[in-house]
Amino acid sequence: MLLFSSVRFILKGWVETQYIEPKFFFGFLGFEWVKPLEGNLMYIPFIIMVVAALFIVLGLFYRVSTLLFFVCFTYVELLDKSNYLNHYYFLSLMSFLMMWIPAHRDFSIDAKLFPKIRRTETAAWHIGILKFQLAVVYIFAGIAKINSDWLFEAQPLKIWLQAHHNVPFIGGLLQEEITAYFFSWMGCLYDLFIVFFLLNKRTRPFAYLAVIFFHVVTWLLFPIGVFPWVMIFSTTLFFSVKFHQTMLNGLKKVFRWTATVPNLVRKHTGSQKLVRFALLTYIALQIIIPLRFVLYPGNLFWNEEGFRFSWRVMLMHKEGHATFYVTDKATGRTIEIDNTDYLTVRQEDQMMTQPDMILQFAKYLKQEFDGKTFSNKEQSITLHDPAVHAEVFVSLNGRPSQKFIDKKHDLTALPYNLKHRDWIEPFEK
Amino acid sequence: MLKKLVGFVFVLSLGFLFSCKDKNKDGDQADFNKSALLENVSGNIILPALNSFDHEVSGLKSSFMDFKNNPTNANLDIVKSNWKAAYLTWQTVKIFDFGPVRSIGFKNATGTYPVDTAKIQTNISNGGYNLAAVNNLDAIGFNALDYLLYNYDALNRFQNETAYLSYTEEVIEKLYSETQSVVNAWVNYESVFNKSTGTSSTSAFSEFVNEFNRDYELAKTAKVGIPIGKANLGLVKPEYVEARYSGISFELLIESIKRLKAVYNGNSFANNTSGVGFSNYLVHLEKVGLDDVINDKFDLIIADAEAFTVTLEEAINNPSMMNQLDELYLHLQQQVVNIKTDMTSAFGVLITYQDNDGD
Repeated sequence: MLLFSSVRFILKGWVETQYIEPKFFFGFLGFEWVKPLEGNLMYIPFIIMVVAALFIVLGLFYRVSTLLFFVCFTYVELLDKSNYLNHYYFLSLMSFLMMWIPAHRDFSIDAKLFPKIRRTETAAWHIGILKFQLAVVYIFAGIAKINSDWLFEAQPLKIWLQAHHNVPFIGGLLQEEITAYFFSWMGCLYDLFIVFFLLNKRTRPFAYLAVIFFHVVTWLLFPIGVFPWVMIFSTTLFFSVKFHQTMLNGLKKVFRWTATVPNLVRKHTGSQKLVRFALLTYIALQIIIPLRFVLYPGNLFWNEEGFRFSWRVMLMHKEGHATFYVTDKATGRTIEIDNTDYLTVRQEDQMMTQPDMILQFAKYLKQEFDGKTFSNKEQSITLHDPAVHAEVFVSLNGRPSQKFIDKKHDLTALPYNLKHRDWIEPFEK
Repeated sequence: MLKKLVGFVFVLSLGFLFSCKDKNKDGDQADFNKSALLENVSGNIILPALNSFDHEVSGLKSSFMDFKNNPTNANLDIVKSNWKAAYLTWQTVKIFDFGPVRSIGFKNATGTYPVDTAKIQTNISNGGYNLAAVNNLDAIGFNALDYLLYNYDALNRFQNETAYLSYTEEVIEKLYSETQSVVNAWVNYESVFNKSTGTSSTSAFSEFVNEFNRDYELAKTAKVGIPIGKANLGLVKPEYVEARYSGISFELLIESIKRLKAVYNGNSFANNTSGVGFSNYLVHLEKVGLDDVINDKFDLIIADAEAFTVTLEEAINNPSMMNQLDELYLHLQQQVVNIKTDMTSAFGVLITYQDNDGD
């Protein structure tokens, strides 16, 4: 999966459009020091990822490969917020976890090269933590769907589904309101409960069919990339050991893998405590981070404070329009900014509805314009320490657009941190 | 326990299905069909506009041949009037910058301004130019012709400079041949366009919505914003005025906005009879209010622009008219939110070109 994803990324030319073309990158708070490489050098981390992913599949230099993959993948993701997607975050976490899990101890080239590491069994937490991660994704995605727009307005699905009304056979159905409600409720229930059905041995086969059905439908209807496939394959983790053994044994036969395992059972109890502590910390973080939104006042979808890293997938349809003004404090004269001069289409689209990115962009504009001279045939003015204002309108889940940021705030004077942003206009239903 | 839960879910969803059935009957609405919209737009707007454009550009070409053989002021006037007719129809054609228009870069080759008159002069003096080169985009098209036909010394130079005459001829010939290829390509593209109703950013419907927005914003920024100094601390830039030498910039602006409004409403190119357009789609989505706001704003902008009795350059150079220009610009600006944010989000059309998980 990782291999496929990296190759897809390069083939689609996204390296170019997302990491080489932009002039400005929306770094993550605290990670602004993560900068892209010069020009085509940006392909290097992607090539490393492809090779590392290939090695992981083959089980060659597994520890090094997983580490490399995690580092490169996370590096790339940290470069620009506008590319943030929940499933990239998920892949980042999974590769992080894989670094610690010895998945190379049997049926791998490593095991051939270094027979000492071979094991047939693995500690329960190795698989348990992966299952936990998946459960977190599903359950939080489910909880996030328990909101009035989703359940009682069937938004944003109403908008998204009606747009497909020209699909043959089922197109008419997709235009019906009832379909949107049905999808909304089913999606919510699916996310909330699927993990429990997968955990239970009796319901597992049905649950997995549901997994396939659900994700294939979402893949067909929405442009969510590899996410459905990641989930379809990841959920096989819930299958019994026996199932995986059978699959592996099948593959082993194909590759004529010798089934003998040296019986080298070494117990190392020393690190147990540390492992337990690390695991608990990780689990706690995974539960706390998605819940941090409760600390912020106001509407979560509107303000987007505590929105990222919380498995809020396909939850809202936000469309915005932001006009930035750079003002000379001395003369009061103003420049209206054409965002596309500085941002790619995707960056602009993401920025216009997310307050933290609006602030970052404003601060960037100040830097860009400080000291610049503007003139025509008659006069010439040089900007010093300009103010940056923005007028932003946003439409949330099909509502008429409302004012999001008022022109009165000088954004360059506002702090960029994790505190509640009281300069966002209040959301009116 | 599990069985109970499954049963519960089942009953819940079933009950839900029925409760919604009733609800739906009340607000009964005929199903909307994007294909009908696309068929109307291609059949009643794009193709007729292209044919008309083709006709006018051919007229421009043949009248220039007449002028070449007999370079009188009267014949130059005929060339000018053909140029103007074609330029006005261009205001419709330029909205549809996708498919055959996009694939040959027709919009940039035809409508780029301001022109670089120095570059045109260098080309004429030095010869050996390649009009298809990217760096000549501001030395060809309607605005190059605006300069070549309308500058104060035009007639004299046509009569006495072969290089000036043949440069103009080549600019017209390029416009003519590209028009032919777009018109021919659209014959095959029409059926592709009509069928492409999906929501991905590459579907014709999405491209149409996005290009409609882009063209509107371009009209706002390039026809008004930049010349009145919106990107230059309010210091005016008369040299950025469209069609500066002929002075028809307000006519072009008014035509552009009127045509955008007609396309929005799905009105036919030939006689403005109503058809299926974005307006109908919004009404279908129960957004009558937004539809009214958009149409009213279009009317307001047209009225604003029609109130000017001088050329745009004269208005810009007259400080007492600055407020009137600002007002026009403000209304142009306000419409962006209506069509780009509210309308586009209601349609569920994607602006981005990559994966999205809706957050």
